[in-house]
Amino acid sequence: MSQREIVTTLCRMCDDHCAIDVSLEDGIIVDIQGQENHPWNQGRTCTKARAAIDMVYHPDRLKKPLKRTVDGWQEIELETALDEIADKIRKIQSKYGDRSMTVWKGEATGFNQQEELAKRFCQAMGSPNYLSVDSLCFTTRYLGYTLQYGAWTAPDLENSDCILLWGTNPPTSHPFMTRMVMDAKEKGAKLIVMDPRLSMIGRTADIRVPLKAGTDGAFAWGLIHLFIKNKWADQKWLDQYTVGYSKFAKYAKKFTPEFTAAECGIPVETILQVAEMMHLSSPKVSNYVGNGLEHYQNGLNNVRAISCLDVLTGSFDEKGGNILTESLGANDLALYNEVPLDHLEPIGAKKFPVLYKLRHENNTMTALDTMISDDPYPIKGMILTAGNPIRTNPNAKKVKEALESLDLLVVRDIFMNECCEIADYILPAATFLERTDIETTRNYQVVSLRQKVIEFPECQDEYQFYHDMAQRLGFGKYFPWKDEPELTSWLLEPTGISMEDLKNHPEGIQYKPIRYRKWEEGDLASPTGKVELTSDFLKSHGNDELPVYIAPEFIARPDPRFPFTLITGARKLLYFHSRNHNIPRFKEAIPIPELEIHPEDAESLNLKDGDNIEITSRIGSVTMPLKIMASNEILKGHLQAPSGWKDNNVNLLTHDDILDPISGYPLLKGVMVNISKVADDVQYLVD
Amino acid sequence: MITINPNKCVGCLNCLYECSFTQSGDFKAENANIRISCFTEESFCIPFTCVQCSKAWCMDVCPANAMSRNQETGAVEIDQHRCIGCKMCMMACPTGSIHFDTQTRVSSKCDLCGGDPSCVKHCISGALKFEDESKAFEYKQTNIDNQMKQLLKTR
Repeated sequence: MSQREIVTTLCRMCDDHCAIDVSLEDGIIVDIQGQENHPWNQGRTCTKARAAIDMVYHPDRLKKPLKRTVDGWQEIELETALDEIADKIRKIQSKYGDRSMTVWKGEATGFNQQEELAKRFCQAMGSPNYLSVDSLCFTTRYLGYTLQYGAWTAPDLENSDCILLWGTNPPTSHPFMTRMVMDAKEKGAKLIVMDPRLSMIGRTADIRVPLKAGTDGAFAWGLIHLFIKNKWADQKWLDQYTVGYSKFAKYAKKFTPEFTAAECGIPVETILQVAEMMHLSSPKVSNYVGNGLEHYQNGLNNVRAISCLDVLTGSFDEKGGNILTESLGANDLALYNEVPLDHLEPIGAKKFPVLYKLRHENNTMTALDTMISDDPYPIKGMILTAGNPIRTNPNAKKVKEALESLDLLVVRDIFMNECCEIADYILPAATFLERTDIETTRNYQVVSLRQKVIEFPECQDEYQFYHDMAQRLGFGKYFPWKDEPELTSWLLEPTGISMEDLKNHPEGIQYKPIRYRKWEEGDLASPTGKVELTSDFLKSHGNDELPVYIAPEFIARPDPRFPFTLITGARKLLYFHSRNHNIPRFKEAIPIPELEIHPEDAESLNLKDGDNIEITSRIGSVTMPLKIMASNEILKGHLQAPSGWKDNNVNLLTHDDILDPISGYPLLKGVMVNISKVADDVQYLVD
Repeated sequence: MITINPNKCVGCLNCLYECSFTQSGDFKAENANIRISCFTEESFCIPFTCVQCSKAWCMDVCPANAMSRNQETGAVEIDQHRCIGCKMCMMACPTGSIHFDTQTRVSSKCDLCGGDPSCVKHCISGALKFEDESKAFEYKQTNIDNQMKQLLKTR
């Protein structure tokens, strides 16, 4: 009789980390279902979770290390591959210096523990040049909130009376945030959604604000203006707990409802309605800013302006508002104090000092330029793990050129991709079902365990790989733990929670109860200890002290050659960035990417549904079939094209030289483009 | 029973995909026993599936005696081997919750997945719930209470 068992772990098909019960029969995964008692997903999962079975047992899965030879790919033993890679890293570092090596961490391994391991390895290797997907995602919001409050707050959605969602569509990006929003709505909360498109969550909004791409900052300032003008905020609180209020209030003056409405392309009544709805719900007003806002030239200051709303509605660290969640207090893997490398001119640190100082992230766009130019010094080798920047970074053509210029490119992944194709070595990596780490669910202050369910002999988890490389490169002392479970136990040491405890609690363990109004207890983690409506720190780095609004390029300097505004990367439920395109039933359900257009724009150009359209920006072009939306689904003059498709790669259009001056984030949305119909006999490629 | 709250539905299609996967191993809308109607202009989506009527007309009308109530789950089930594909049940169903499976040439409907419906387990918004009939209408009271609260608050 077959042996059946269930192991509870955490999903990582997206960044929601749902708790899942994985059923095995004779050691083979046969089913994945939501874990009943975990507070985040409460027994449910989205349809991606069960598809993890298809992913781990996919026939195309990389299972043997490969080495590029003149005769093509050659299978080699893992130990030999690691020996050879270590040898090449030593040669590069002795010829060009330690800093000429880099580690690039993609999204697919996850954050926290996995990210910290990559950073630790890079630092231990003597290189201050750590690159990652954080140059495109998360950090602008992290910085935006951290600069004001000393930390990024979490929206207390379930207790909220008024929820504002900015540039985010939880059903496709954070599925179970949808449940939290809907539960609040059921209890009477109002939902306001800012998005140029009608997203899934927008369908359920009480007020939709279809503002022009990248004008969220103006809209936030318009709301600030009304709160100040109507004296809706608690002035005594502001005087006691904030700095820079008078400059802030002065700057808000110009954002009258009329000015804001014109800038955002919305009716004046909409802004009045939103402000009033927020005021009536104060302080139970929660704001959540999505990744959508990060991909603009003024992205960081737009986020900062939005964050300021929390002090005006009184929702900062209030129940139902935006809360300063407390951390688990685990051991720290960072090596910045033990191995200080700031003197080695980290790439990007000069251009984007705020990003480097607060996140130790080297701007990837700058690093790719450096690989091509060798300026200020050569970058010659890279370990790329669980990422495919040729598909996900802007200016895909240049990314490829930069990676090709390296002397050594080692790619760790689970499937072949564009980066593997140009690599020197490909190492088969472990999926989330083949590793152990801990994750915290911020909203509930709950820690849960991801545990190894299965394994494939030569598919190393991240820790094992860094450990084995560190041994070979002579800095094994920084990776002393036998394996990932031992490392995880060490990380948990100061928390009073053990691996055993977590194994016994598949629903996770709340490490600290949620507390509100912690500003009453002492200083915030910001430089002044107060909410910084103006930031001296930014000023000292040559930036505006206020979260100023600067209109996007397509509004400020329109170019008649590129009359359309392209938003890229609206999420699809089944795909996650460049992933899942090789799962047959997903491909059947969503077979092609489509360029979304307003019906009047399509009509004026005489375009029909399904026409093959060439989209052209200043730097490149890509072809995609057209989808004519309903008139309320996308703004006139705006287009939307999904990202992550191999043969219809929108990042051939996006810019790596139009960057947010503080966070260094690239312009992936609000890209100025033109479109034209491709003759019918030209076939577009579909991967 | 599976209860549906259209106010919570975002039209993400997780339920439809998972129903199709459970039934046929694929992600085709035509193989799912749940349908989602999205009214784009009105910004509204309605999921709908069999409510397992207490007096099931589909079962009464079936000339092949292919339909029966599962006493354990309460679901009205179709015996695929007995069904003659006459579509009488489809005509009798007041909510259009039975469809014709063009592969097997017989009728197909929700069988509550044997008492643990897959659509509900994959509903991310909470629009679908699997609950006791006695609990199913409690939301009406909650709704009216909340509306009263809002009214009094804004007065």
